[in-house]
Amino acid sequence: MEYKLRKAEPRDVPDILRLVKELAKYEEMEHQVTLTEKELLEDGFGDTPFYHCIITEIQGEKSSEDPKVVGFAMYYFTYDPWVGKQLYLEEFYVMDEYRGLGIGSGILRHLSNLAMKTRCTGMMFVVAENNEPSVQFYKRRGAEDLSQEEGWRLFRFDKDSLVKMAAPSEE
Amino acid sequence: MDFSIRAANLDDCKDIARMIMELAEYEKLAEHVKVTQKDLEQDGFSKNPFFHGIIAEVPEQHKTKEGHTKIGYALYFYSYSSWSGRAIYMEDLYVMPEFRGTLALAAGCHQLDFTVLDWNKPSMDFYLSQGSFDITATMGYHCMRCEGEALEHLAQP
Repeated sequence: MEYKLRKAEPRDVPDILRLVKELAKYEEMEHQVTLTEKELLEDGFGDTPFYHCIITEIQGEKSSEDPKVVGFAMYYFTYDPWVGKQLYLEEFYVMDEYRGLGIGSGILRHLSNLAMKTRCTGMMFVVAENNEPSVQFYKRRGAEDLSQEEGWRLFRFDKDSLVKMAAPSEE
Repeated sequence: MDFSIRAANLDDCKDIARMIMELAEYEKLAEHVKVTQKDLEQDGFSKNPFFHGIIAEVPEQHKTKEGHTKIGYALYFYSYSSWSGRAIYMEDLYVMPEFRGTLALAAGCHQLDFTVLDWNKPSMDFYLSQGSFDITATMGYHCMRCEGEALEHLAQP
């Protein structure tokens, strides 16, 4: 089966959102996806992209069929003040029925190449500890679990907390 | 004490590099710092910056015994949540936090993320008291990194 890995274009936004929701469903958190196609379009394909995306598409069985988007990765660049630029892998997903064909490895290889070309010293991402298949997938390829090994905990202020913190303090 | 908070500029890189080192020394990990003043200048203040900086400064009469008036900084960049869109990631903090909420909201962001080392209880307690939550504890999210040889290996055909 032939598959093609390419940079996402504005027309891919509906497929990107579809795959984001599929992955969230797999993690049993579909209701948490509030992002819309409009936001994805503005944020990824405007003057200042907030993310970059690569997608994998598969040619249909009949040549008259449109190719189908079956996998994607969403990433952006971050900065570690100790060692410099990092490539941050935000989302990475291949549809269930298309796994085991090397599509995931192909995406990771492309991203690792990109990381090295842009002089990033590392590629970072977050994995849920109960997602055993994913944890093993990454550890097999040499990823370190910084939470386990160095005690990193990821914290978040959500919108309500941000609003409270931003309010002027009472004298 | 009066202090001012402002966006960092190119001339601040020397002090930012100094404070990065001070924070690393506090975390007992100074030997891991490879970024130089020149890297900060190139990566933070060229056409496409990889980070943004904020400086906290005190007036001359309150400078430290070494003569520094720049007494805090924060490094941040815009990130993206595939579930909710624009976010800010606060990479380093070595200054009071009142401005962080304001900045994130002004940029249309829905959340502010950062990491804390688990032995740093005073910081963890402070952030929790301000309304943040520990995603690693509540959702089991682990931060992972692929670097050096492992990254090179992944890049090969």
